[in-house]
Amino acid sequence: MANQNNQLHVVYGDGDLGISGDNFEYLFSYSRGGLESLVIDHKEWLYREPKPTFWRATTDNDRGNGFSRRSAQWLGADLFSQATEVTVKVNGQPIEFPGAKTNNRYSNHEYENQVEVRYRFETATVPTTTVLVSYTVTPDGTIAVRVHFEGNAALPELPVFGMRFVLPTVATSYEYTGLSEETYPDRLAGGRHGTYRIDGLPVTKYLVPQDCGVHMKTDSVTITRNSTKNNADHSERPFKLTFEKLTEPFAFSCLPYTAEELENATHIEELPLKRRAVVSILGAVRGVGGIDSWGSDVEAPYHISAKQNIDFGFKISH
Amino acid sequence: MKPELTWLDDPETFRVGQIPAHSDHRIYRTVAEATQDTSSFVQSLNGDWQFRFSKDPMSRPKHFFETDFDASQFDSIKVPEHIEFAGYDRFHYINTLYPWEGHVFRRPAYALDPSDTGKGMFSQAADNPVGAYIKTFTLNSGLQDKTVRVRFDGVEKAMYVWLNGHFLGYAEDSFIPSEFDLTPYLKAGQNKLAVEVFKLSTAAYLEDQDMFRFFGIFRDVTLIAQPKMHVADLLIRPIPVNDLKDGQLNLQAHLVGEIAGGKVQVTVTDAAGKPIFQTSRPTSPNLEISNQLLKGIQLWDNDHPSLYHLLIELFDANDHLLEVVPYQFGFRKIAINNKVIELNGKRLIINGVNRHEWNCRSGRVISDDDMAFDMRTMLANQINAVRTCHYPDHTKWYDLCDTHGIYVMAEDNLESHGTWQKLGGVEPSYNVPGSLPQWQAAVLDRAQNNYELLKNHTSILFWSLGNESYAGDDIAAMNDYYKSVDPTRLVHYEGVFHNPKYKSRISDVESRMYATPKAIVEYLENDPQKPFILCEYMHDMGNSLGGMKSYIDLLKKFPMYQGGFIWDFIDQAIEVNDEVTGQKVLRYGGDFDDRPADYEFSGDGLLFADRTPKPAMQEVKDYYGQSK
Repeated sequence: MANQNNQLHVVYGDGDLGISGDNFEYLFSYSRGGLESLVIDHKEWLYREPKPTFWRATTDNDRGNGFSRRSAQWLGADLFSQATEVTVKVNGQPIEFPGAKTNNRYSNHEYENQVEVRYRFETATVPTTTVLVSYTVTPDGTIAVRVHFEGNAALPELPVFGMRFVLPTVATSYEYTGLSEETYPDRLAGGRHGTYRIDGLPVTKYLVPQDCGVHMKTDSVTITRNSTKNNADHSERPFKLTFEKLTEPFAFSCLPYTAEELENATHIEELPLKRRAVVSILGAVRGVGGIDSWGSDVEAPYHISAKQNIDFGFKISH
Repeated sequence: MKPELTWLDDPETFRVGQIPAHSDHRIYRTVAEATQDTSSFVQSLNGDWQFRFSKDPMSRPKHFFETDFDASQFDSIKVPEHIEFAGYDRFHYINTLYPWEGHVFRRPAYALDPSDTGKGMFSQAADNPVGAYIKTFTLNSGLQDKTVRVRFDGVEKAMYVWLNGHFLGYAEDSFIPSEFDLTPYLKAGQNKLAVEVFKLSTAAYLEDQDMFRFFGIFRDVTLIAQPKMHVADLLIRPIPVNDLKDGQLNLQAHLVGEIAGGKVQVTVTDAAGKPIFQTSRPTSPNLEISNQLLKGIQLWDNDHPSLYHLLIELFDANDHLLEVVPYQFGFRKIAINNKVIELNGKRLIINGVNRHEWNCRSGRVISDDDMAFDMRTMLANQINAVRTCHYPDHTKWYDLCDTHGIYVMAEDNLESHGTWQKLGGVEPSYNVPGSLPQWQAAVLDRAQNNYELLKNHTSILFWSLGNESYAGDDIAAMNDYYKSVDPTRLVHYEGVFHNPKYKSRISDVESRMYATPKAIVEYLENDPQKPFILCEYMHDMGNSLGGMKSYIDLLKKFPMYQGGFIWDFIDQAIEVNDEVTGQKVLRYGGDFDDRPADYEFSGDGLLFADRTPKPAMQEVKDYYGQSK
C-alpha cells in the first residue's frame, strides 16, 4: 500500500498492530509481548521480540567478589521476564486498546502521523518490578525507543540494563561512532572518540568466555548483514540498520551470543556456531573492576543500584 | 666426588661442583666477532638430545651416564623444551598449593622438627619424574685445546651432570645459569654429556611460583671455551657525580689463566661511537679502575636510555689479542631522599608490569622474537618498568631493558607461599625459608646468583628478594647480602608486610600487592616510614582493569606513592588442538586432568596468551602516558 501524504499506514489487526511506510513494515505483537517484525527494504531484522536485558555473562571479577551470586535474580529476569500489558497511542493520544472486536471500526486505509506502542514488562524477580518499553514510530520509519526501569530498593544491584535485539542471521560487520575498543564505565579513559568498523562479530577471547565487547558513549551503531532466513531471498547484497542516540549517548555490544550462551561456556571453543547477532543497547553498565579478582568489588560509582529508576532511549533508523 | 640421590632431599645441598656465579658478559676472539655477536669461543648444544623419561627415581636408568651404556633404546627430545611439552609428563597449573597437594603428605625438612632431615622425601618419591638426557658432541675447532665449560641457562628443578662418565656436579636454582668445567674430562673426538633432571627436590619448596609446573632443560645449553687469559668476572659501577653532570667509572675485572706479562686495554665509547676514555694496563688477577672521571656524561633513564660502550681487550705478552669483552652501561643514580625514591634526582614513577616468560606453544621456552615483541609492546604502551616475576629471566631480556630504558625489579627465584598462605589466611607453621638455619644457605645462594649474574645491568634499579615467601631471618640475611655487595640499588620485598616485626630489617620500600586505593592512603597519611610501591596491582584477569584512575590519582597526591606493577603482562595458557574440532585452542589449568588446579587464574595478562593485546591495553597506555 503506497504511503499517502507521507503518513504511516496502520493495520489494526487482531494479533498484531501493523505499521508501514515507504520500504518498511513493523508488526507489534499483542500476544508475544513486543516488536515481532522489523522489516526494512524487505529484510527482516528480528529473530524474536526485543526484550529488556538484565544479565551479563559473569566476568572473572564478578565471580571473585560474589556479585553474580548476590545478583542472581537478574539472570532469571533476563530469561523469563514478560510483557503483561500493551497500550497504544496515536498522534500522541491514547486510544482504546484496538484488539478484537474494538478494531472492527478500522479499515485498510488508516493513516496516521505517529503511533506509539508501549509494553509493560514485569521482571521475574522477587519482588517484581516494572520495565516500560515504548516504541514511537514516525512516517520516515524511525522508531524512537524509550525504556524505563522502575527502581525497587528490595532488589539487588544490576549487572546491566538495556534492550536486547536478537537478529535472525549473523552480522558481517558493524560500524559505530563512539570510543575505540571495548570500554566500560570504569575503563574508558583510553578510548578515543571516532568511527570504527568491526568485522566478523568477534568475541573477545578471554580464557573463560565472559561479558565483553561493550562500547560506551556511543552516538550510533550501524549493523550490516548480508543474509536472511527468507527462503525466497537469494540476495547476498549487504543491508544495514542503525541504532542512534536520541539525546544522550548509549552503550552497546554486538555479539553472536546471548549472555546466557557466554555464561555457560568454560572455553571459547564450546560456544555455538555463530548463527545470529545479539545487539544489546544499554542504558546502564556495571564497571568491570580491577583491584583484584578474589573479593574486591567494583568501585562504588560504577555499580548499578536497583533502587533508582533508570531511563534511557535511542532510535532505530535506516 | 660421588653424586648422592639424597641431595634431592637435603635443603643444604643445592650446588655441587659448579663454577661460581659471575657476570653475564660475553666473550669474543676479535672485535669484529663482538660487533657481530658471534663468538668462535661458543658452541651451542641446543637441538636433539637422547632422552629417557622415568616416572620416578626408582625406575630411572641409573647408569645412563656411563660411557658404555647402551642408549639405543632412548627417545629423542629437543633442547630447550619442557618435558611436558614433549608429551611425557602432564601439564599442571596450580598457584599457591604445592603440586602434590592431596596426593602426598609432605612437610619441609626441619620445618616442624629440627631432627626431620626429610630423607627420602623426594629421592624415593613416586611423584618425582626423571629425565635422563644424553648429548654427544665434538668440540668445534675454536674450542679445542682450551678450558671449556658447559653452561645451562635454565633447568628445572634439580640436575646432575656427567661428562664421559665422570660426575661434574649438581645444581638447583632453575632460572639461573649453571656452569661446570669440562676440561679435565674432555676427549678428542666424541664426548658424552649426560644430564639427569628431577622434577622435585627441596628446590620445589622454594619454587612454588604461580605458574604451570614444568621440568627439564628449558633454556640454552652452550659450550664456552676460554682463551689462555680470560675475564672470569666483571663489575662495572658507573656513578654520576658533580650534580649528575659528570660520571665516575669504577671497574673491576677478575682475570684468570696465564696472566703474567700481558696487557689489558679498556676503552669506553659514547653512543656516537666516540672514544671518551682509554687505558692500557699490565695484566693482573684483579684489574681495577677507580673513580675515573668522565666529564659531561649523558644520564640513562626511560626517556633517554643513553648507553656507553665498554670494551675490554686482553693481549698476551706478544701483544696477540686473546679475548674481547664488550658491555654496555649507563649512568644513573637511584636513591631515597626524604622518603621518596629518586632516579637521577627526580622522583621515580613506576608505570610497571609484572612479566612471566611465556609462549603458548612452548611455555617458558621463549624466543628472541618473543622478547623483542614484548619490549616493543611495552614501549608502545608507555610501560616503563618490569618486575621479573618471580625468577630471573633470560639474560637477553636485561640487555633489552638496558637498551630501551625499561626499569627492572630483578627478582630472585623464590616463592614459597604454599608454606604459609593457607586458604587465603596467613598460617606460617611450616614456612620455609623462615628462620630455619638449614634453608638459609640455599636462599642466600639464590640472591648471590641473581646479583652476580646481573649486577652490571643499568636497567636494574631494585633487587627483589623473591615473592610471597613470608619473612624471617633467612630473608633478612638476603637483604643483608644485597646491602653488603651493592650500594647502588634498592632492595625490595613485599612478604615482610605479613610479618611486620622484620620491617626494619627487610626492604627499602613499603611494598604491597593489591592494596585498595583507600588502604594506600591510610598508609601514606599515617607517618609512613618508607616510600610505597605496589609490586602487584590491577589484577587483569579476564575482562578487568577497571578503576585504574584511583591509583593514578594517588601519584598526583602523594610523592611517596611511586606507582606499581600491573599483574601481569601475558596470559599463561597452552595452545592445543581441540579434541573435537581440531582447531587450535587455548587451554588452562584443569584442562589436562591436572588436579588440584587453579584453572583460569593464570589468565591475567595485558596480552592474551597468543600475544594479541587485550582491549584494556589502551587504558594502560592512556594512564601510564599521563603519569610519566
